[in-house]
Amino acid sequence: MIALSVVFLAPLIVMVLGSVQRPLQPPPDGLDLWPDPAQWSNYLAVSRFIPLARLLLNSLLLVVVAVPVTVVVTSMAGLAIVTARGGLRRGLIGVSVFMLLVPAAALWVPRVVLLRGVGLADTPLTVALLALAGTTPFYVLLFALAYSRIPVSLLEAATLEGLSPYAVWRRIALPLGRPAAVAVAALSTLYYWSTFMDPLTLVSSPGNWPVALGLRSLSEMEAALYPIYLAGAVIVTAPALLAFAIGQRSFFSAVERS
Amino acid sequence: MKARRLLAAVALFGLVGCATQPAESAGAPIRLQVRADPEEAAVYRSLISAYKDAGGGDVELVTVGREDHLTRLSTAFASGDAPDVFLINYRDYPPFVQRGAVRPIGPLLEQEGISTSDYYEQPLRAFTYQDALQCMPQNISSLVVYWNRALFKQAGVAPPAAGWTWDEFVRTAQALTTGSVKGVGIDPSITRMAPFIWSRGGAIVDDENAPTRTTLHEPGARAALRAVVDLIATGATPTKDQLAAQRLDEQFMTGKVAMFLSSRVEVPALREQRGLDFDVAALPVMGAPASVLHTDAYCVASTSKNPKAAAMFIAYAVGRQGQTVTALGGRTVPSLRSVATSPAFLSPARPPASSRVFLDAIPHLRHTPVTPSWPEVEDVIGTQLQRAFEDGVPLDEVLAEIQKQADPLLRRR
Repeated sequence: MIALSVVFLAPLIVMVLGSVQRPLQPPPDGLDLWPDPAQWSNYLAVSRFIPLARLLLNSLLLVVVAVPVTVVVTSMAGLAIVTARGGLRRGLIGVSVFMLLVPAAALWVPRVVLLRGVGLADTPLTVALLALAGTTPFYVLLFALAYSRIPVSLLEAATLEGLSPYAVWRRIALPLGRPAAVAVAALSTLYYWSTFMDPLTLVSSPGNWPVALGLRSLSEMEAALYPIYLAGAVIVTAPALLAFAIGQRSFFSAVERS
Repeated sequence: MKARRLLAAVALFGLVGCATQPAESAGAPIRLQVRADPEEAAVYRSLISAYKDAGGGDVELVTVGREDHLTRLSTAFASGDAPDVFLINYRDYPPFVQRGAVRPIGPLLEQEGISTSDYYEQPLRAFTYQDALQCMPQNISSLVVYWNRALFKQAGVAPPAAGWTWDEFVRTAQALTTGSVKGVGIDPSITRMAPFIWSRGGAIVDDENAPTRTTLHEPGARAALRAVVDLIATGATPTKDQLAAQRLDEQFMTGKVAMFLSSRVEVPALREQRGLDFDVAALPVMGAPASVLHTDAYCVASTSKNPKAAAMFIAYAVGRQGQTVTALGGRTVPSLRSVATSPAFLSPARPPASSRVFLDAIPHLRHTPVTPSWPEVEDVIGTQLQRAFEDGVPLDEVLAEIQKQADPLLRRR
């Protein structure tokens, strides 16, 4: 377990150490790890190259809106699959799997055309509109799998008691599918925090871009400025790690309870 | 890169080539998309700020990384959200013209009082397609030899002289190869090979204006490529493992390679390397002098609602002040003769001291074919040359493969 942790932690450690190396030095021959002396000013330099505060705010807004919408939409869709019968159920699962097979690049142009057509392109929240379509069919299938473990008799009894489909979802399915909800929330948070191809193609104005796209542009800087790029990477990675640190207790307790 | 180019091609099929009626508003805001890293973006911000100080309108700058520029441009055009002005390399622009995405710039710039006779002809020719000047060249770079002064001195080798021959080049590279230092690094791409092929009297394609097949297997081109393969066989170039570990430019920065071939684009990064003493030299000749054109130009999108404002900005950017601002950034060789020959570009105070080499190459500049499928052809040739240069695959096998894969692409036009 410790060995495995080291494997996963190593890139993060290299990133943090690299972020305090002195910029404008020749690229090192190997892995030049230990900075001497540490250049903390690299962190201040990041905002000289990209409007960091604004990009972080855009990303935060994106995550705050897109993640809850994704969870609601995909959990409802997952329940719809589980409560469907026979051929319809198989058909819905088939469509979800088929949609998973469509390469992301094939959707870039249709998405831009669609969103622009309805006048919703070019806002900080444009990318969040993907959440209305569930972000990815994988999350829908994840919920369908989780809900399939709920006894059918329970859902049928609730319906016979006169509960509306919404009430069945809200009062029975969602509480029982909490681990799936936590997992989808975690995965979609990571997705919206790190996506750069969607905003690159969907959002026209750089002022509305999320921070991942800013990091992408820093990654193209010359090798001599890589410490500044890595400082940017630390700044962008830190909130995701922090969110995980805060959310991990709830995540593990939800999984353990299941 | 291949996937992105493919996407660009697919996306462009969705284009509708309809030029909108110009709304004659000179001060209207426009959007400019350029391929630039964050440091280069600062140069364009200075350009826009100087333009505003000179009474110009608002320009929204969108800087996109190297890998993403064409992707974003293609999706933006397909959705009708294209930038008013974009900067593009001549090897990438024909598909955009073919799909009606570019508004020919000649008449627009004439109205702004720009005379193309003040500019170098070669890039203007490269951006002339379907008998009209489509975009206005910003720069005119060419392939040169970057060399490390300290490593030359250390090996006791004389600096490269103008008009040096291929044999002298090979001998120099061998003399510089000692211990951990390799003499020269050459990327396996057609833009690096083309000058040698032309210099040796060969050709890349059968007809440069309307190519239908590649001619790299024919005697002139084959001999030039053979000479490069022979140079690699001497061990004077980095090995496959060394190339996998570090890019050529970084190997040059760290003194592992004494010479490498590239265009002007390397200068800002090399200037930032403390202690690196470098200069540029002309390409060695195998027969007649030759070099290959590298140029980017400002294009106006056919969908722009403000072509007048777009033309005004371009006129400023390619004018004396605009070109001086971009020349001081170090990355471009100005396309305007008067700025290219001014201290803004030639000043020896900042390396490379021999910037004139870029201007001396201009009379011998030729360009690769301007045809919509060229980006894909380049990819095919690059992949195959890499097999010959790095994996030791026999040259004739590679040349046959290039013919097999690239010729159908050229005929597809």
